[in-house]
Amino acid sequence: MLVLGPIVVLLLLVALLKAADQGKQELNVLIADPGQIMDHRLMAQEEKNIHYFFLDDYLELDEFVRGKSYHDFDILVELNEKVLNNKKCFVFYKDQLGLDARMELKFQIEKRLEELIASQHSSLSEQAFRQIKQGIIFDFRDLQDPKNEAKEANAWAGFVLGAFILFFVGLYGMTIFRATVREKSNRIVEVLLASVRPQQLMLSKIVGIGLVALLQLFGWVLLLALGFVLLRQTLFLDVLDPSNWGQGGPERLNPLSTLVFEQLNLSFLFLHFVVFFAASFLFYGALFAVLGARSGADADGQQFLLPLIFLVSFGIFAGIYAINYPHTLLSQIFAYLPFSAPVLALITLAKGVSLAVYTKILLSLLVLVVSALLLLKLAGRWYKNSILKF
Amino acid sequence: MINVAQVSKSYQRKLVLDDVSLEVPKGQIFGLLGPNGAGKTTLIRILNQMASPDRGKVYFNGHTIQKEDLQDIGYLPEERGLYKYMAVRAHLLFLAQLRGLSKLKAIENVDFWLQHFEIKDWQNKRIASLSKGMAQKVQFIAAIVHQPQLLILDEPLSGFDPLNVELIMNEIRALKAQGTTIILSTHNMKSVDEICDHAALLHQGHILAQDTVQNLRRTHAKGRIFVRFRGHMLSFANALWTDFTLLEQKETETGLFDCVLQIRGERSVNDLMRSLQDHVAVEHIELLLPSMQEVFVDLITQKENQDV
Repeated sequence: MLVLGPIVVLLLLVALLKAADQGKQELNVLIADPGQIMDHRLMAQEEKNIHYFFLDDYLELDEFVRGKSYHDFDILVELNEKVLNNKKCFVFYKDQLGLDARMELKFQIEKRLEELIASQHSSLSEQAFRQIKQGIIFDFRDLQDPKNEAKEANAWAGFVLGAFILFFVGLYGMTIFRATVREKSNRIVEVLLASVRPQQLMLSKIVGIGLVALLQLFGWVLLLALGFVLLRQTLFLDVLDPSNWGQGGPERLNPLSTLVFEQLNLSFLFLHFVVFFAASFLFYGALFAVLGARSGADADGQQFLLPLIFLVSFGIFAGIYAINYPHTLLSQIFAYLPFSAPVLALITLAKGVSLAVYTKILLSLLVLVVSALLLLKLAGRWYKNSILKF
Repeated sequence: MINVAQVSKSYQRKLVLDDVSLEVPKGQIFGLLGPNGAGKTTLIRILNQMASPDRGKVYFNGHTIQKEDLQDIGYLPEERGLYKYMAVRAHLLFLAQLRGLSKLKAIENVDFWLQHFEIKDWQNKRIASLSKGMAQKVQFIAAIVHQPQLLILDEPLSGFDPLNVELIMNEIRALKAQGTTIILSTHNMKSVDEICDHAALLHQGHILAQDTVQNLRRTHAKGRIFVRFRGHMLSFANALWTDFTLLEQKETETGLFDCVLQIRGERSVNDLMRSLQDHVAVEHIELLLPSMQEVFVDLITQKENQDV
């Protein structure tokens, strides 16, 4: 798991980054326009990866598929001579089209046909018609962030890190639960409690497993960092290196690689990741330990885990809510609730913070730590009362 | 060594121990007896500080028992438990150090006991691969590895074959000889007869009886006498007159008889000797004491009859 986990994550990352790069595939579109309705023209702005060609005649499908001269075309658009009336055309593709390509194709042909219809029924020039059809750009901006400095992509990156915290907490929390149940069911706990206090046993289990989790985490970070460096040197080149610039200036490879390699302050985030993970683990670890102590056998205990898993998952939903509605009262509350504080803190940190905001994050960390300590104390008592009840 | 003073304990309004007081003398083997549900395990957990009494105190070597005293207490619970996936030696070292031994001392002691119980060849095997008897030996070692002053054994002989029962009994005797005080909680009354010096009988949270094993047996003696004599049975029976009832008789060889008599009234063994001396040649005469099993059953039956 220590080695396999980072390898899987890196492979996923490569796949995602490559997919982002390849999202826009090159397409050659042949428009069969026997009526020469479109006049070999489309609207002014076209997608650079879709290339349009016109044929002033019908074309048999068989010919399109097998003909050597049509080998390089990906799509055939059949426009009948009465398309302006019947508003129907057929699009034949060789490979499944993505949604983007379909939307673009439909947009281009529709707009051109609209132009033609408008010219038939009005005296508007093409230019005037295009001006009318030009959409108004609505730029939505938060009053609290009028310059739109907050970065949504960064927020989602922070969310992913926060979700990772909850994932690790859930994973290793289950280890605490199972270990406690096993000790109880095979009665070794009675031998142990003759030497140590129940609270000591519980705490040592939480801390011990927490340290294992941290060790795995560090191993993951080390291997991932190594992987990132290798990827940067090989598959995803440095965008600040002039030798990688295209004509006219630096060209961003894709937004995801930019986010990962440039926008996020990874070391800063990682430090806070570790701190919030430790505090969350203490908090949830106490609950998992108590549940284990109250369970008779592993199978019995599963039913008690559901509410706890919901609590862990609550942080995920709170994070999604906070990204979409960052300035609501609920988001403020979620930022301080121990169940959701880690996720919201990392979302905020990923976006970049002022001193005032950072102070609030530290306060939420303090609330989480104090809650964890109080819960550990309470859980110790519950653990003591339950662990010897068979 | 251990003084339990008026200890009471309830669990969810059920009174499990009610004003229990007992004294365990130093260097003795003390039998803690009682039927299921009597409160033995609760009392043992209080002694091990796994539970605290609602009322009363426990004294250890003259002072109120504290957490630090656990290093001088060894405990073998009835429900045996070990980490199945740990190796034998590693497990014992872990438990020894948990009891306060330094690593070096733990290694020394563990190696000694593994050798002593002849399971050194299995020291690197996982607990799960051991037979039940061997696993129990490991647990026994875990209870004594730190050389405790007080050893609490809850059903130490259950699950052992007769050879290993004898082995454990001998170990218990050897520990006593070294000065260890031992509390033995058991249903195995034969072992109580054989090795316990003192005993206390617990029933429904109360102490029914507490004394040396000999005194308990004497107190509950049923007035039976064993006689071995040479002579004629008729002469013997006539000599008994009405003072003694012949319960059993057996001719082991010609003219040699083993008999069991019941004393009637206030008669004694000396009275029987005087009655027989002119009639038969008495080779052996002995007042038969009840076994602890009989004492146990008698006391419980009396108590239950009283309650009714």
